[in-house]
Amino acid sequence: MSRLEAKKPSICRSDPLTGERARASLAALKGLVMSCYGPAGRLKQLHNGRGGSVVTTSQSAALLAGLPVSHPVLKVLTAAVRNHVACFSDGGLFTAILCCNLVENVQRLGLAPTTVIKLNKHLLSLCTSYLKSEGCACRIPVDFSSTQILLSLVRSILTSKPACMLIAKEVDHISTLILRAFLLTIPENAQEHIILGKSIIVPLKGQRVIDSAVLPGILIEVSEVQLMKILPIKKSDSFKVALFCVSLSGDLSDTGEGTLLVSYGVSLENAALDQLFNLGKQLVSDHVDLVLCQKVIHPSLKQFLRTHHVIAVDRIGVSLMEPLSKVTGTWPIGSLGSISPSSYGSVKDLCIAKFGCKHFFHLIPNKTTICSLLLCNRNDTAWDELKLTCQTALHALQLTIKDPYALLGGGCTETHLVAYIRHKTRNEPESVLRDERCSQTELQLITEAFCSALESLAGSLEHDGGEILTDSKYGHFWSVQANLPSAVNWPDLPSRCGCGLYSSQEELSWSFLRSARHPFPPQTCLSREATGSADTLTLDCFTAKLSGLQVAVETASLILDLSCVIEDTN
Amino acid sequence: MDCRVINRRRHTGLQQLSSFAETGRTFLGPVKSSKFIIDEECHESVLISSTVRLLESLDLTSAVGQLLNEAIQAQNSTYRTGTSTLLFLVGAWSSAAEECLHLGVPMSLIASVMSEGLNSCIEEVESLQVPIHSVCDHIDSTETFSGLSVSLYPSLQIPSGTGLVQKEHDLKDVTSQSLAFCSLSGRPVKSPQLFRLQAKFEADENISRTPQTLKNNLLADTHCRKSVLTHSRHFSRTDRHWISKPRGFLEQLSAAAPKTYSCSNLAELEVGLSHGDPSSMRLVDEAVRLQHQNAGRQRGSHTGLFPFDISRIFTCCLPGLPDTLSCVCPGYITVVSMSTATLVKELQNQPVRVVLVEGDLTENYRHLGFNKPANIKTVSESVKVQQDSSEELWTDHVLQVLIKFNVNLVLARGNVSERLAEKCTDSKQLVIGSVQDSVLQAFAEASGAVQVAYLTHMNENCVGSGVSVTTWRSIPSDTIDGISRMAVVLKTEGINLVTVVLTSPVIAQMQTKEDRFWTCASRLYYALKEQKVFLGGGAVEILCLTHLQSLAGQSVNKGNQDCSGWLHNTSSWLASSAALYRPTVLKCLADGWHRYLSTLLRNTAVYSSDSEAATSIQCHLQNAADSGSPSSYILNEYSKLNSVILNLGISDKLEPIPRVYDVVTPKIEAWRRALDLVLLVLQTDNEIITGLAHTQKSSQESEGFLFL
Repeated sequence: MSRLEAKKPSICRSDPLTGERARASLAALKGLVMSCYGPAGRLKQLHNGRGGSVVTTSQSAALLAGLPVSHPVLKVLTAAVRNHVACFSDGGLFTAILCCNLVENVQRLGLAPTTVIKLNKHLLSLCTSYLKSEGCACRIPVDFSSTQILLSLVRSILTSKPACMLIAKEVDHISTLILRAFLLTIPENAQEHIILGKSIIVPLKGQRVIDSAVLPGILIEVSEVQLMKILPIKKSDSFKVALFCVSLSGDLSDTGEGTLLVSYGVSLENAALDQLFNLGKQLVSDHVDLVLCQKVIHPSLKQFLRTHHVIAVDRIGVSLMEPLSKVTGTWPIGSLGSISPSSYGSVKDLCIAKFGCKHFFHLIPNKTTICSLLLCNRNDTAWDELKLTCQTALHALQLTIKDPYALLGGGCTETHLVAYIRHKTRNEPESVLRDERCSQTELQLITEAFCSALESLAGSLEHDGGEILTDSKYGHFWSVQANLPSAVNWPDLPSRCGCGLYSSQEELSWSFLRSARHPFPPQTCLSREATGSADTLTLDCFTAKLSGLQVAVETASLILDLSCVIEDTN
Repeated sequence: MDCRVINRRRHTGLQQLSSFAETGRTFLGPVKSSKFIIDEECHESVLISSTVRLLESLDLTSAVGQLLNEAIQAQNSTYRTGTSTLLFLVGAWSSAAEECLHLGVPMSLIASVMSEGLNSCIEEVESLQVPIHSVCDHIDSTETFSGLSVSLYPSLQIPSGTGLVQKEHDLKDVTSQSLAFCSLSGRPVKSPQLFRLQAKFEADENISRTPQTLKNNLLADTHCRKSVLTHSRHFSRTDRHWISKPRGFLEQLSAAAPKTYSCSNLAELEVGLSHGDPSSMRLVDEAVRLQHQNAGRQRGSHTGLFPFDISRIFTCCLPGLPDTLSCVCPGYITVVSMSTATLVKELQNQPVRVVLVEGDLTENYRHLGFNKPANIKTVSESVKVQQDSSEELWTDHVLQVLIKFNVNLVLARGNVSERLAEKCTDSKQLVIGSVQDSVLQAFAEASGAVQVAYLTHMNENCVGSGVSVTTWRSIPSDTIDGISRMAVVLKTEGINLVTVVLTSPVIAQMQTKEDRFWTCASRLYYALKEQKVFLGGGAVEILCLTHLQSLAGQSVNKGNQDCSGWLHNTSSWLASSAALYRPTVLKCLADGWHRYLSTLLRNTAVYSSDSEAATSIQCHLQNAADSGSPSSYILNEYSKLNSVILNLGISDKLEPIPRVYDVVTPKIEAWRRALDLVLLVLQTDNEIITGLAHTQKSSQESEGFLFL
């Protein structure tokens, strides 16, 4: 008996932002992401409360992936951040915090959403055009002829994730490996269009971080039992490879619906196996040296191939298929019928390698832009975090090739931008007021909300109760101990600013970050000597941060513009 | 979804860690007190004496418990040793971190200074590494493990059958000797205690000896008797000298120059790594020697490095047999049903042909990745009704194949169909299931067989030959199922496989015994692999403690280059104010070592109270600090132990003096893992619980939760 139930009407709620619950949820989310930010950020344990695996993380990618939110406003926000992270890897927390700050600050003002959105958009374009301009003093050009800046960029990303549990020596080691892995993916003779290769991260949990390594080519993990059955590899210049994406296990996978009637004495299994043997014979007669299969190869077929001196490796997994096909120049074979000779490929060398307790089958291709990053860490949680971080760093390097700039990190870009915007809107408001048709007060209020959102973002780098200062020359970020006696003559000022570019040796005057003060023009134009002198800078990925800024402002505008939520309760 | 804020001042995660760690306190050190774990519901109980087994029985569903379990499992699966150290240090350091929080040290600084401190310790203890120089060169010529331990640890050589109570005494003696460097200098009080224990032990042994020797034992008998003789000759003499030694004598010796150590004798190394478990180590020793002989035979000469291949050692547990039957044999020993006895007897005097099956030996077994379609129906076209089921047909087919290739022995990795096993026994084929991978591999190498997935697909090339099957002994019937079984030995010429038979009259102890064997084997494996060991018995920990104390005393932060990741080149105020908090944090970290050492001393029953242990440690710390160079002080203490024994009675034997050794990387990794876990939990401020509906929580429970 089937039952029909009438559909419930949808629920419509107006002004989703004004409710107490919305405010509390937003504040909770903001607290969560803010406490994760930066190298001293606090970690979060994600688990299902029933003994499932525990993720310890301070990265937006892992955090938001495991954080199902119910409030529609939060859904919009987290979706935007996750989308940004999917495209740029880096800057997720930056985006989330800035967006929360903007929504909160602007909401307090109670201005009409249209004005707010218009002005926020204007301020955003002010920021982006400044960041993209030649005179921008918070970005530095990346010099690809030396590793210094690239290493600094990678190191900044690694150190900003404390859950990787790395010590200084290990940070250096992993940064070098990431850079090497990245360089191995760049083709040697690049024409106009560079097609970057791929770095495959191979897990090796339980080992020391310092045992991590980068190898050109592809590593396929094989079990010890399987390894024993692989014949000693004969020396040769080149090995002919056949790559299968179809299962060679000899099963009848697709029998369709309904029942298949087979008369007594007929064995479908044997028929399938005969077909496999025919395939095997063809492979042998085509002088294939190596058969790789994404899925399972029937043990009897493996045995057949072995007696004919063909190496067979199965259960490679779908993730390695694309790089394997690229590296060997094969077309993955998807049928058990006859194989066209053009689908075969080749590799230069094969060997068997052992790392830790795992055995690998190492394929060394002829020309390679593919490498394997063998990543070790002591425990699973830290390994997962390190893997995500390495992927972020590799992605940041790729983005840097496209846009060869890096932004100053450690909060300096934010405080510098704040100084720039304050100065700009105070001194040249006419164009804005004319274009956007708003009042001077409205502009002032929105600018203040925007700037304080950025400042509070920079301020969330501090988690241990320190104070943040900014100087009135460069507008950079300086961190000091709390409760120092006088604001004029700091006894033990930090020696360097947040990004490490400037030192306190210069005659600078400081003030508290969120204190009211007269706008000043931050010194634009970065001197070349300054970037060269500092040996280790804290840097951020230019493209990722720029996009994060845009996503944050646009999402905040979208959220502020929400007037009604319609929920389907069926 | 909801999330819980972990209180900053009273860090619940750290508290949970300490309380978990407290349960494993008694497993630290060579004398382990066993625990009974009782299931309240089904009244089952288990006897455990290792950290890994303990964690198997604890409720670890909380997030912190999970992380702890993960860390310990990772250590265990990588190194098989060091888990007790790991668990204890997790507890000690989580208390230390909590203490720092109470004192108001910024959390980021605790994390960074602690990690810096530990790294500095790890660098410092490198001076206590002892290189192992080609210990295996003289593996055949030098005395065996048992021989050496007889002369040096007189009390060690009890035959293994003498029972549990006695064994504990025995172990205490070993420990008191192994830790003698801690107790020699200032505590003559200890000696009478030691004497008492040993005397009691001797009496016990003499009683239990007699029935034992009457038994006609296979291997243990002759060397047990010898050990008793040696025992009684050395034992009282050494001890009395010990008691009567003048106090000043020791001080005079302590002035000796630091000695550089090296270990060049396998037996000495094994004694040092046995950590109070000589009976397990003796089995390891025999296994190594067997492997070495085998390797020598294979290569013809003893060349270069001999790798101790732990993967080719196999343990066979036979509960219910007396301890004395524990032994090491080349080849594969396994238990088969008594019903095959006549078959085994028949096969005994001839080389047998073998096939190896890499899966189950049942009709419906298919290899991994094979999906059997569910919608296929076989229909019979002819009128003749088929009587035989498909299993019978399959069994007949398999039998035909086996007969065709003249195979008399089948080893399968998985289960074996009972019907097939019966039929095979009738037609003189021995089928053994549940055989480990490494065993199959060893047989494949030695007999020339190739592992097959389906017997019905095999050909002549897959068959191996030259396996000999012999009865080892019969086993008293199991109390549980009452089926009598027998153990058989399978081997071939030159097979690279050693079976260690572990027996125990107490069934509950079987698991412990196996675990302890593997721990000893892995210690030796890592020592040989790394070609270096640490001076053990607390030496490294003492050095860490003194080192941290001196670091804490230094006002200048010269060791700042190794802080965790970011702090060393950051401009944060934390870096500049680190100097202020460093001494506090380092002191708390050092307190962790102190707790470790005093628990070690307490557990060995040398000291009856914490304060006594603390005094002794304090005394060493003072001496070490006064000497100016803590590492040479500790080395000196070692040579002191050396001289004391040389001058007291056994000077006629110019043998290397046993020291306690410890493995290097597994130990250091255990430290790092412990601190990593503590710091991971320390830096966590929110616990996010996913996928739990709000309605499932009572209002009481949801206190302190935020909902998004």
